Amino acid sequence: MLRHKQRIGMGLILVLILGLGLTGLADKPYEGQVLHLASMADQFTDHLVVLGRQFEEVTGARVEVDVLGYVELREKVVLDYTTDTKQYDLATVDIVWTGEFAEKGWTVDLKPWINRDYIELNVPDILPVTWAQGEWAGKQVAFPMAGYVNSLIYRTDLFADADEQAAFKAEYGYDLNVPRTLDELVDVATFFTRPDEGQYGLVANGARGPAVAQDWMEYMRGFGGRIVDREGNVYVDSPKAVAALELFVQIFDEWAPPGAPNYWWDDRETSYRTGMSVMQSSWSIARAGYENPDISLVVGKTGMAITPTAAGDTPAFGFGGWGIGINADIDPEKQEIAWEFIKWIASEEIQKDWMLNDGAPIRLSTLLDPELNEAMPWLPTMLTMFMHGDGDYRPRVPEYNQIQDILGLRVNQAITHELTAEEALTLAAQEIRALYSD
Amino acid sequence: MLSRKGIFSSKYSLYWLMAPLFIYLAVFYLYPLIYSVYMGFFEWNMGDPTMTFVGLSNYVAAFRDSQFTGSFINTATFVVAAVGIELTLGLALALLLNRETWPMRLLRTVVLLPTLLTPLVVALTWKALLNPDFGALTYYIRAVGLDIGRGVFVERSLAMAGIVLIDVWQWTSLITIILLAGLKGMPIEPYEAAYVDGASRWQAFRFITIPLLRPTILIALVVRSLDALKIFDSVFAITGGGPGTATTTTNFHIFKVGIQHLRVGYASALSNIFLAVSVGIGLLIIRNVFLSSRRKGGAV
Repeated sequence: MLRHKQRIGMGLILVLILGLGLTGLADKPYEGQVLHLASMADQFTDHLVVLGRQFEEVTGARVEVDVLGYVELREKVVLDYTTDTKQYDLATVDIVWTGEFAEKGWTVDLKPWINRDYIELNVPDILPVTWAQGEWAGKQVAFPMAGYVNSLIYRTDLFADADEQAAFKAEYGYDLNVPRTLDELVDVATFFTRPDEGQYGLVANGARGPAVAQDWMEYMRGFGGRIVDREGNVYVDSPKAVAALELFVQIFDEWAPPGAPNYWWDDRETSYRTGMSVMQSSWSIARAGYENPDISLVVGKTGMAITPTAAGDTPAFGFGGWGIGINADIDPEKQEIAWEFIKWIASEEIQKDWMLNDGAPIRLSTLLDPELNEAMPWLPTMLTMFMHGDGDYRPRVPEYNQIQDILGLRVNQAITHELTAEEALTLAAQEIRALYSD
Repeated sequence: MLSRKGIFSSKYSLYWLMAPLFIYLAVFYLYPLIYSVYMGFFEWNMGDPTMTFVGLSNYVAAFRDSQFTGSFINTATFVVAAVGIELTLGLALALLLNRETWPMRLLRTVVLLPTLLTPLVVALTWKALLNPDFGALTYYIRAVGLDIGRGVFVERSLAMAGIVLIDVWQWTSLITIILLAGLKGMPIEPYEAAYVDGASRWQAFRFITIPLLRPTILIALVVRSLDALKIFDSVFAITGGGPGTATTTTNFHIFKVGIQHLRVGYASALSNIFLAVSVGIGLLIIRNVFLSSRRKGGAV
C-alpha cells in the first residue's frame, strides 16, 4: 500500500507524462492518421514519396503512395470511386479527366477551401493556366500539382554543327534552324534521318491506346485542328485533323525508329535520351532528365522550342499535367487532412524543393526563382509557354476517356496502314458522335 | 450410442460432407454467373448508378460490334496455334523426359520453371527482349541476317505470332508434365508383346502410345484450350490489342468495355456470349475425342 506522499509523487509523474504527451500531439496534430495516395508513375513521383515522409515528420500523418502506370492509375481510382471502397484518399488527376471527375462527383470540389485559405495558398502566385488541372463548370475538382508544357525537344549539338549546317543549306537552300513551321519540320526530320547510322529525325508514340492518341493530339494542335467542343460538336474529321494525321503517319513511315509504332512515353524518351532520335514533341516534365548522366547520353545537348505550326498560324502552346484530387467518399475529417497535404505540397518552399528533384511547376515564383533559373536555364522558355498555354486543346469533356480510346485505336490503325488517315478519322468521328447521341 | 434421425442420419452424411463445396460453388461461381446473365439485360455504366432494362439489345449490339466479332477470330487463331504447338512440343518433351536417367530427372525440374513465373512478368520481359530498337534478342536476330521488318509486335502479320511464341514458351512445360504423368502410368506389357512381334519404335508409338495416351491428351487439350481462350496478360502488357486490332482477343475486349469504359451491362452480355462459346468448344472437343475413341474401340 502506497503512503500518502508516494501517491502524490506518482500522481505528479503521471500528470507530467500526460502533459508531455499532449504537447507532442499538439506538435503533430494528425498523429496516427494515414493518407493513401494513388500517383502516376512519372518523373515527379520519386520525390512525391519523399515529400510524403516529410509531411509525416511535420504533421504525424503517414502518406502511403501507390505508384501506378497511366492505365492502371485510372482503372484503380475509378473503380475505387464507383464502388465506394475508399481505398484512396488522394489521387493524381490527369488534366483530361477533369470533366468526367467533376460530372460524376468523384473528387471533392475544392473551391470553398481555396477561397477559405486564399492568403495561405498565395493564389495569385499560381499560374492561371494551371487551374485547368481540375476546373470544370465552376468547380475545382483537383488542385494544380504538376504543370506540363508541350514543346519541341531537339539536339542542340547537331543543329549547331557546321558540317550539318552546310549540308542542310546545300540540300534545302535555307539555313538549318530549329523548325518553326511544319514544312520546316518535315525537311529537318528528313535531313537527320539516317537509319544506317542508327539515327532518326523525329520520334513519336505509336502504341495503340492513350500513348498514340495523346501524341497525335500534339500534331493536331499544330495544324489548328480540334476534336470536340463542350457542346458535343465533333471536328475530328476536319481537313486540318486529317492533314495532321497524314503528317503523323509520315513520322512512322519515314523518320521514326522501327519500333516506334509500339512506343509508349518511356520508349520515346529512351529513344531520345540514347541519342537515337534527334527531335520529339514532349512534355516539360522530362526536360531535367536529359541532363541526368545516369539515364541520358545527351547531357548538355538538348534544346526546347515552341512546337511547329502550319505556316502563317499563330504558335500554340499545349498545357497539361496533373492535379491532385480528394476522394469525395471519405470522411470529412480525412478530407481536411488530405487538404492540408495538398496545401503543403503546393507551398512555395516545397514547390521549389520539388523542382530541384524532378518536379513540375505550378507557381510563377518557382519559374522566376534565381537559384532555379541558374540550375535550369530552360525555365524562361517554359514560363513563356505557361503564360500562353492552352489546357483545352485536348477536350477535358466527361467523354474524354472514350474519345481517347477511339482515337487510340483509329490513329494506330492509320500508322500501321490498316486504314488511311481519312478513313481512320471518319470512323473516329462517327464513333465519337455516337457517344453524344446515346 | 446416440441415434440420428431424418436428414441427420448416416444416409445423408455424404451430402453434409459435400455441403461446404456446394456452398463455395454457389457463392463464387453460381451467383456471379446468374448475376452476370441478369446484368446483361441492362444498360449500366458504373459511373452512373442508374440501371436501364434494355432486354436483348446488348446481345444484338454484340454481334454488330466489329471489334467483338473480330476478337473471336483472333482468339481462335491464338488458341489453335498456341495449343497445337504446345501439344506437339509437349509430347516430344514428355517422351524425351520419360527416361529415368539423372539428366532427365534434372531437366524435368528445369522445364517446369516457366510455368512458375507470373504471366505479366513474362510478357514484360519478352517485350523488352523483342523491342526492335533496344531489345537484346532483336539485335542477335538481325545480326544473323534475319529480317523481321519493324519488329514482331509492330508488324500486323507478326504480332499474334509473337503472342503465341510467349505462350508456347511459358506453357509447353505444363502440357509436358501432364503427358509425362500419362506416360508413367502406361503398362509395359503391350510394348513387350509388340516388340516380340517385330514392331518398330515408330509403330509402337503410333499404335500403342498414342491410343493409350488419348485420355491424357484430351485432358491436356481441354485444360490448355480453356486457359488459352482467356489470354489477356501478354496482350495487355505488350500490344494493347494492336497493332490496330491484330491482337485484340475477346477477353481483352471485354476488359476494355467493362473495366476501362465501365459499361458493365454490355460487358456482361459479351462475357455471357463468350462463356457459351467456350463451353460449346469444350464440349465439342470432349465429344469428338470421346466418340473417336469409342469408334476405335479404345479406352477413354
